[in-house]
Amino acid sequence: MKKLLAATALSAFALAAPAMAHFQLVYGPDMNVRKPVQMPLKLIFWHPFENGHAMDMGQPEEFFYVLKGKKTDISDSLRPITFQGANNESAAFEGVLPVKRNGDYIVGLVPAPYYEGSEDIYIQQITKTFVNKGGAPTGWNEPVGMKTEFVPLNKPYNVIAGSTFSARLLSGGKPVVGAEVEVEYLAAEPDMEANAPSEVTARPMPGGALVACTDENGVFTFGIPKAGFWGFAALGSGPDTEHAGKELSQDAVIWIKAFDLE
Amino acid sequence: MIRKIIPQILMAGVLAGSAGTALAHTPLCACYDNGDGTVLCEGGFFDGSSAAGVRIHVNDTDGNIVIDAQMDENSEFTFEMPDGKYSVMLDAGEGHRVEITADDIY
Repeated sequence: MKKLLAATALSAFALAAPAMAHFQLVYGPDMNVRKPVQMPLKLIFWHPFENGHAMDMGQPEEFFYVLKGKKTDISDSLRPITFQGANNESAAFEGVLPVKRNGDYIVGLVPAPYYEGSEDIYIQQITKTFVNKGGAPTGWNEPVGMKTEFVPLNKPYNVIAGSTFSARLLSGGKPVVGAEVEVEYLAAEPDMEANAPSEVTARPMPGGALVACTDENGVFTFGIPKAGFWGFAALGSGPDTEHAGKELSQDAVIWIKAFDLE
Repeated sequence: MIRKIIPQILMAGVLAGSAGTALAHTPLCACYDNGDGTVLCEGGFFDGSSAAGVRIHVNDTDGNIVIDAQMDENSEFTFEMPDGKYSVMLDAGEGHRVEITADDIY
């Protein structure tokens, strides 16, 4: 019996371990708005597919949006919050995106490097998400000059569930060939009032992290099977490789939203 | 008379649909109260193209055109707010019109 228990515990651990992917989240429930709004956004460093462990964030290095090629710093809007994860609390942030004119608001976050003790490395996930006002497309498919970033080849804020999403991975403005891109579904969208996960709508797959690779043009494609938010992370795609005397994994993260065709 | 008109409308719809780009060429417009007695409107199309040069007019509640103009090279138009209630129409031709009522001016 003891052996069986131990075997079960081991296999459970083995199953759970590879699914653990860190994902920096920049989350607002709506990527498509019609009216001007001061939109709150939650910055949470998390394991969103498994509604898992949440990590403490330090004060972000940059928080901004780009509209029609113009970059605006909104880091003054940041204030610390505590995210009540399913199993632990973590230091997170809330910011405000001022949405007025029509167009694509490309929101960028450069978080402080996070020390991951289990790997003895720092992780910095440079993250991009989108809010569109009024249906006017004004640059979602253009790079915004991040050290490393995904540039979408499909409009990222109204992907149809069942279709595909493609993006080009850049580092220092150049395509990154043969990079592994981890894919996660936001299984429990954060409750904007409670700063806690809401209902869990999906669970991670067996076999570990979902992975797609970039081709010779730095492009990956992934079929989007389900409505909701999907995140993509390229690990170590950025040009910086060291922080505070330790290895730095400088990653690119992008979030998209898919809808059922009804 | 009505019978004659309906097929024409249907035909216009068929033509618009068969044009292919027509769906993507749906106009969009948003207007903002500048707080100084003027209103700024910005226009465009769902495919991202500019509405520069497209007709825009301001109507009173009786449907009379009180301001008749064109979007500027930035696809924008600013006008003095008229007295009383009004609406704004971006008019890119048959099947390509979008009306903004006073309730949708922010």
